[in-house]
Amino acid sequence: MTLLERDPKSPLTWSGNLPVTSRYTFGLAGEKFFRAIKDEGKIIGSYCKKCDHTYVPASQFCEKCLAEVSDWVDVGTIGELHTFTVLYEGYDGARLVQPEIVAFISLGDGGLIHRLGEINLDEIYFGMPLEAVFLPEGQRQGSILDIRYFKPAG
Amino acid sequence: MTMRKVAVIGAGMTKFVRRAQETPKELSWLATRMALESCELTLDDIEAVCMGTAPDSFDGIHMKGEYLSDGAGAWRKPYMRSYVGGGTGVFVPIQGWYHVASGMFDVVLVVAEEKMSNFYPHAQAAFLTIFDHTTERPLGPNLLWIFALEMNRYMTTYGISKEDIARVSVQHKRNAANHPCALLGDPDITVEDVLNSEVLAYPVQRYDVSPVSDGAVAIVLAAEHVAKRLTDKPVWVEGVGWNLDTAHWTNRDLVYPRYVEYAARMAYDMAGIKEPKKEIHIAEPYDPFDYKALHHLEGLQLAERGQAPQLYIDGTAARDGNMPVCPSGGLLGVGNPIAAAGLMKIAELFWQLRGEAGDRQVPGQPRRGIAQAWGDLMQVGTVVIMGR
Repeated sequence: MTLLERDPKSPLTWSGNLPVTSRYTFGLAGEKFFRAIKDEGKIIGSYCKKCDHTYVPASQFCEKCLAEVSDWVDVGTIGELHTFTVLYEGYDGARLVQPEIVAFISLGDGGLIHRLGEINLDEIYFGMPLEAVFLPEGQRQGSILDIRYFKPAG
Repeated sequence: MTMRKVAVIGAGMTKFVRRAQETPKELSWLATRMALESCELTLDDIEAVCMGTAPDSFDGIHMKGEYLSDGAGAWRKPYMRSYVGGGTGVFVPIQGWYHVASGMFDVVLVVAEEKMSNFYPHAQAAFLTIFDHTTERPLGPNLLWIFALEMNRYMTTYGISKEDIARVSVQHKRNAANHPCALLGDPDITVEDVLNSEVLAYPVQRYDVSPVSDGAVAIVLAAEHVAKRLTDKPVWVEGVGWNLDTAHWTNRDLVYPRYVEYAARMAYDMAGIKEPKKEIHIAEPYDPFDYKALHHLEGLQLAERGQAPQLYIDGTAARDGNMPVCPSGGLLGVGNPIAAAGLMKIAELFWQLRGEAGDRQVPGQPRRGIAQAWGDLMQVGTVVIMGR
C-alpha cells in the first residue's frame, strides 16, 4: 500500500485549486542573515546580552525578553549534529530514488535544518561536527539553498 | 476569581474514514446532531458555539471556520473558531469551558472537524505551508521530517528501542478494534507488523504514524445548575491547561516536552491533583505517532523521563491495567482528522467515566481522566482533566 492508494468505491470528487502566490520579504534580521550567506559565505546569529542567548538564524528580537537584539555574531560554518532523519518518500507518497538525509545542525543556541551530503549513513553520530558547503560566490542569491548541504567537518 | 463548574453532558462523533462522501460542513452537522440528541437538546437550547478546526489548507477553503459554521449549528449565535494546530481538539473544549465558567453562557456546543482528504494528492504537502518561508520552506520540509528528527533524538537519548515504541502502536490499534468509529482498528496486529512496515523517514515507519482521516466530533457543555437538571451523570471539567513553547523549533528540547508539562501542571493545580500517577485513572495522551504518546505521558508527569515505554511493557497502560492509556484506540487506531481527533479524546473520557464506552469500557468504574493534544509547530500543549 502506498500513500497514493486508489479505492474504486471512493466517493466522486471535484478538482479545484486555490491560486495563491506569495512574495515574501526577508525581514529586518533576514536581510542581514541572508546577505551574510550571499556576500560573505558566513552564517550569523544575533546575541541577546540580557538572556545570554544566540539566535540562529538571526532574529531581530529576543523571544525571552522582547528586547531588540543588535549584537550580530559570526557563528562559524561548522555546527554539531543534533538529530537526523533519512527520507524515503516524497510529497506525493512515491518512493525517492535516492533517500535523502536531513539533520538539525546546532549553531549558537539555535541551528539550521538542512540536508547532509558527502556522508555515509553508518558514519553519522549525534554531536558530529558538520560544515556548511556553499555554492560558489557568483551563484548565491540570498537563499537557504545557497548552502548546498552540510558535510562532515575536517 | 470565581469560576462556575462546567460539565460535559453530551457527545457525538462520525466515523473516522479515509475519504468521506460528506462535505466538511456535513461532517460537522452529523456530529453536532448526534451530540444534541445524546442529551436530548435542540439547537434552541444552545447559547453559543465553539468551533475547532486545523489548517485551512486541509479542507481547501480559506476562513473555513465561517464555512463550517452552519454545520456546527452557529446560525445566529455567538460563534468563534479557535485554532492551535494539532492541539486544537483539546483547546476548543477549553474555549467552551471558559464561555460557561465565566458566566457568559449556560449551554455551549463545541464542535471539531477535519477533512484531510480534500488535499490532493496527499495532506502531507499541506504542511509545507506552516514552515518559515525563507529559512525552512525552500528545503521542502514536511511533518514526517520533524517527527522523525524528534523521535530519533528521544530514542537515542534514552536508548529506547524501536520495538518498545512499536508496542504503543500495537496496543492502540488493538484497542481501536472495539471502537465503532475507528479507521485502523486491528485486533491481530503485532510488533513485527509495525517493524516490518515501510520506512517513511527513518526512524518513522508507516505503522508508527496515524492515518490521514476525515471526521467530526461534538460535545455539549453546561453550567452546573443546567447540567444537574439535564442528566444524572454529568462529567465535570475539573482542570484545563495550555502552554506554548518557542517558535524556533530548532532551539527546543526535543527530548522532553516542557510545554506539555506546564499545561499539565496548570490543569493539575486547578483540579487539586497532587499525585497524577495515582489520581489519574485513564490517560488519553495525543498519539499521532507512537513515540509521541510516550513523550506526552512523560510531559504529563504520568511516567518518569525515558520510562514511559515501561507502562506498555508491564501492562499498566492496557485497557485493564492500572492506568489505561488511549482505551479509545487513539489517533493511531481510531484515526487522525486533526482537530476532531483531539475532541474524540474528550468524548472518550465522557463515555468512559459514564460507563458508556461499550466494548471499550475500562473496568473498575474510573473516576478521573486526562486528555491532551499537541500541535502548532511542535510547540503547543493542551490539557483537560475530567471527572465524575
